[in-house]
Amino acid sequence: MSSENYAIEMLHITKRFPGIVANDDITLQLKKGEIHALLGENGAGKSTLMSVLFGLYQAEEGVIKKDGKEVKINDPNDANALGIGMVHQHFKLVQCFPVLDNIILGVEDTKNGILQKQEARKKVMDLSERYGLQIDPDAKISDITVGMQQRTEILKMLYRDNEILIFDEPTAVLTPQEIEELMQIMKHLASEGKSILFISHKLNEIMEVADRVTVLRKGKCIGTVNVKETSEAELSRMMVGRDVQLVVEKDEAHPSQTVLQVENLTMSSKRHSNNAVKNVSFDVKAGEIVCIAGIEGNGQTELVYGITGLEPVTSGKITLSGEDITNQSIRQRSLKMSHIPEDRHKHGLVLDYPLDYNIVLQRYWQPQFVNKAGILKKDEIRKYANTLIDKFDVRSGQGASTVARSMSGGNQQKAIIARELDKDHDLLVAVQPTRGLDVGAIEFIHKQLIADRDNGKAILLISLELEEVMNLSDRILVMYEGEIVGELDPKKTTVEELGLYMAGAKRNVQKGAE
Amino acid sequence: MKKLFKLVLSGLMATSLVACSSGKDTDGSNKTTSATSDISVAMITDSGEITDKSFNQTTYEASKAWSEKNGADFKYYKPSADTTDARVQAIETAIAEGHNVVVMPGYLFAGSVVACAKEYPDVKFVALDVAEGDLLEAGVTAAGEKYDYNPSNWDFEKYVNIDNVYCAIYQEELAGYMAGYAAVKLGYKKLGFLGGMAVPAVMRYGYGYVRGADAAAKELGEKDVEIKYVYGGKFSEDPAIKATMDTWFANGTEVVFGCGGRVYISAAEAAKAANGKMIGVDVDQSASIDADYGDGMTVTSAMKGLAVTVENALDEIKDGNWDKLAGKIDTLGLVSGDDPTANYVQIPEETTQFEDGKFTVEDYKALVKDMFDGKIKVSNDTSAPEPTAENVKIDFQGTILA
Amino acid sequence: MKEKKSFLDRPSVQAVLAALICIVLGVLIGFIVLLLINPSEAFKGICSILKNYFNYPMGKICVKYFGSTLVKTSPLILCALSVCFCYKVGLFNIGAAGQYALGAGVALFCGLSLKLPWFLCVVLSAAAGALSGVLIGVLKAFRNVNEVISGIMLNWISLYCVNMLLAGVKEPTSPYTLKLQGHGNAAILPSLGLDKLFSNDKVTIAIPLSIIIAILVWFVLNKTEFGYELVATGYNKDAAKYAGMKEKKNIIVTLAIGGALAAIGASFFYLSGIAEWEVGQTSVPAMGFNGIAATFLGGLNPIGTIFSSYFIQHITDGAVFLDKTAFPSQIPDLITAIIIYLCGFMGFIRTLLHSKKKGDNR
Repeated sequence: MSSENYAIEMLHITKRFPGIVANDDITLQLKKGEIHALLGENGAGKSTLMSVLFGLYQAEEGVIKKDGKEVKINDPNDANALGIGMVHQHFKLVQCFPVLDNIILGVEDTKNGILQKQEARKKVMDLSERYGLQIDPDAKISDITVGMQQRTEILKMLYRDNEILIFDEPTAVLTPQEIEELMQIMKHLASEGKSILFISHKLNEIMEVADRVTVLRKGKCIGTVNVKETSEAELSRMMVGRDVQLVVEKDEAHPSQTVLQVENLTMSSKRHSNNAVKNVSFDVKAGEIVCIAGIEGNGQTELVYGITGLEPVTSGKITLSGEDITNQSIRQRSLKMSHIPEDRHKHGLVLDYPLDYNIVLQRYWQPQFVNKAGILKKDEIRKYANTLIDKFDVRSGQGASTVARSMSGGNQQKAIIARELDKDHDLLVAVQPTRGLDVGAIEFIHKQLIADRDNGKAILLISLELEEVMNLSDRILVMYEGEIVGELDPKKTTVEELGLYMAGAKRNVQKGAE
Repeated sequence: MKKLFKLVLSGLMATSLVACSSGKDTDGSNKTTSATSDISVAMITDSGEITDKSFNQTTYEASKAWSEKNGADFKYYKPSADTTDARVQAIETAIAEGHNVVVMPGYLFAGSVVACAKEYPDVKFVALDVAEGDLLEAGVTAAGEKYDYNPSNWDFEKYVNIDNVYCAIYQEELAGYMAGYAAVKLGYKKLGFLGGMAVPAVMRYGYGYVRGADAAAKELGEKDVEIKYVYGGKFSEDPAIKATMDTWFANGTEVVFGCGGRVYISAAEAAKAANGKMIGVDVDQSASIDADYGDGMTVTSAMKGLAVTVENALDEIKDGNWDKLAGKIDTLGLVSGDDPTANYVQIPEETTQFEDGKFTVEDYKALVKDMFDGKIKVSNDTSAPEPTAENVKIDFQGTILA
Repeated sequence: MKEKKSFLDRPSVQAVLAALICIVLGVLIGFIVLLLINPSEAFKGICSILKNYFNYPMGKICVKYFGSTLVKTSPLILCALSVCFCYKVGLFNIGAAGQYALGAGVALFCGLSLKLPWFLCVVLSAAAGALSGVLIGVLKAFRNVNEVISGIMLNWISLYCVNMLLAGVKEPTSPYTLKLQGHGNAAILPSLGLDKLFSNDKVTIAIPLSIIIAILVWFVLNKTEFGYELVATGYNKDAAKYAGMKEKKNIIVTLAIGGALAAIGASFFYLSGIAEWEVGQTSVPAMGFNGIAATFLGGLNPIGTIFSSYFIQHITDGAVFLDKTAFPSQIPDLITAIIIYLCGFMGFIRTLLHSKKKGDNR
């Protein structure tokens, strides 16, 4: 194939950082009008490669060609000029601006210094219609759904007449329905002649939408294959370097005594005047995984804050191992409760602390790590951290002294899981423990959770991933608008039924009672 | 005229204190032969700048002019802070850089004199306005004892060594008297006095001013002369002080005697706004005040002979007569009844706004003669906390920035 | 080669390097300003600033003024430590300036009016500074009032309170407080022979004490459970809460310690007897603000602040030696201000060094 058929080519790209080769001789060729997936574990080098393409980093070796001609991309402005646009994982939108203003931001037409929005509005509406991107141009970003925010980002690229569209993990923040919509939009864009780079580690999405896929592993290019000629199993093998169990194997649960008892719990909301959690009651027994399923923002976060003590409860009672903990401090609760937090950067880690300090974040005050004079036993901390690093295979540049910020997301999460599982606990509250992780890491974490269950611990799992909910849990509670609307047995239900409960279309638990 | 100064310098003064030891004499005689080029003059500023149009500037200009005329090295030093330690450092820097005569204006230098004089016996110190009490206070405090402001309780020589220091203080009460007398004679009835702080030199000016006005009022038979009297609380301008001055002028005060460093600025600014008048201090301030705040603002100035003192002292050093000055605290005042310009305290003959029929140069000369002859006696006692008078009303307002 | 690279990569080495570059830049710009004013005297001028006490003949007097610079360094170290300590916990203690004033006021009041011995003066002054810190901390922790705003406001409140407090121990004939010598001898810091060593009676145990306190601060921050909590709170308040730390308490305690440090600095300065407080002064002493510069020049390291504080004081004192006949009398202050200002570029230079290193790796 002659090189004119490629919209963009990245040939033999090498990019080194101190102590690591992030991209090692990687070649990626994007055909015009195709959807090309870029697959790889966390830390495989996907983000670095895209940063090189977007002009955020300069490659030490290799060339970039656009339409067969070599180009130099020194900064994102160069990339924009070449028609390269990107939807970042975390949207770059001005929250208090309406959709239209966000789209035209930076390329506004002005006449004598006055904004000319009428033409812009017309162009945006045309694009919206042509590509099936439903938006309300006058709604404020802070008022619209995540899906609509993403469509705004896509329209931003289209408004700038970008030909090459990069989607960085676009489905991580979407509901199943929204994911389905996005897939349709991407296909539509490709059929209109746009070339799409789709960064993901979700095999099913790649199989559904992509034409070809390039797999990266540890900074190296493993190969480019046609999606039609491959399978999920083969892709995961290419990505991880070994066979991966895509379905979790676990034995029958043997629930025994009740560990966590939540009675009539009500939590106020920080975002609106209604209560975020309304009169919720349930229990979790030793030796079982109870999963709270639901679409994001239905009160799961607040429920966890109430149980773990991050926020005070409005009313209700929480009992842990027979002890009323409703008004206990976080420290007191932590003696019997482990907590894998929803946001590992906000709560889970002190990113500027080294790994070993983060590993003792819940235990630094215990006599094992601090003497009576209040001086830290640094050797003990280091020794303990190294034990856990080995046991949980936490990988980092400089071992226990690595600053947490410089670690990959998967390894950060592993460090948190190591910390929470290794400490004494009757109950483990795991909130989206595999969010944003690749299949290798997910498999590992799932195994750890099941092992913890089999050790007789009670596990409360909060997850947005339907697959995870179905695979892992022994009992499913569905949360909708702050209430538990359904209690389901994963063995006796389907994803479709679960979806109906999550959307509030069905309920089998009576309001305010159990 | 210079000759006259030299003649009278050593003896005449009222409260001179001789502390020359015999051991010191050999030192002094060694220096007798000192050639002009051997003299290297350093001048240290006190808390102000050499542009203060007052104390520092006068001393600076006099030292510099003398040095240039006599081919001596000259440099001035500004201490890094308003502390004795900083002033000592400035003096030691000057000495380290080879200066052997140090001129210091102002009572603030008492502590530095106590600290440096004994450390550097070969250096000659000329301290203006530094009185026995100032030195004693500094010496007693430096010894870690508490001074009770009563010099008679202390053995001066035990605490202070001024074998190589010449101190000069002035009879400010005489200059103040002349200014106050002139103002009332010239027809001003609502007078004001703004002192920097209640330190002896300022108080002598102020009390003299009140007594002069009192005497003039008595002579004229005026019953409604009034003096407002206040201390600013600092030796520089301040909005709060200016506010008080504004009130004074608004309430009819006609002329204010601004006495103490830059504090006069607050009064002059207020006077400018209210078309009031000023009386200058230390030097003839008419030129600078009139230029800055308006022609004809300065009625007169109560002057003391800083420049002359500096020139005399340096001349004596040059002529090998240092031992005549060393160890002395001279109180300088009137030396001539016939030529007022020869005196260490005076008001300017040229710029004072004399007025025929009220107060003329001749009247002034007669006044000086009477003072010189002892017909008019002006007390230098400042022990009373407030000034008093018999024929004028005094409105004592304390200190603005207490 | 490999070893050399890793040596230059070490953050401490980079910090020192960045500090040196800042200093050179500052001196250079100061020199250029001198050149513009008086070309023939400029080189001599900048040299005399840098020489400071070496302008004196070697020997007793040189040592005396070395001691004098040290006396003024110790309060600067403590102000820098105050800012540094709070900064490590994510708080910008601009209130150090006011706490310094408060410390001065309480120390002098205790010494001159209550005739207390020096250690009580220091302790009470630290307590006053801590109290001021607590006030800022409580506002920050419970009302989320920015510590910079409340700090600046408290600076003025403290200044005027101190002026009021010290009006009773003012010299009648000057705007300054009474000298400790003679009026509060017990409050003068002991010198344990240091005064003889430096032939300077103002050199006291304040100097070794402030170095010990700097080491102590470093130790607390890096080696103790308490420091672990504080720094974690500074880096990530939410994670600290998640880990069961009392983040509100930590904020308050941090600002209290910061306040105490600044106040101790003031007591060290004024109880050495080197200067008196000017009653009625209308600006907050610059020491607290210079502490900010010293903190950054010291690479946000408590040990580093010892050296950066010394340097800043060295050039501040050195500026006195600038020839007044060759340069206007405001120039020394200007030059030191320029050099101190350039110290603020530490972070920028460090980033530059860092990216330079990256470039070298190509």
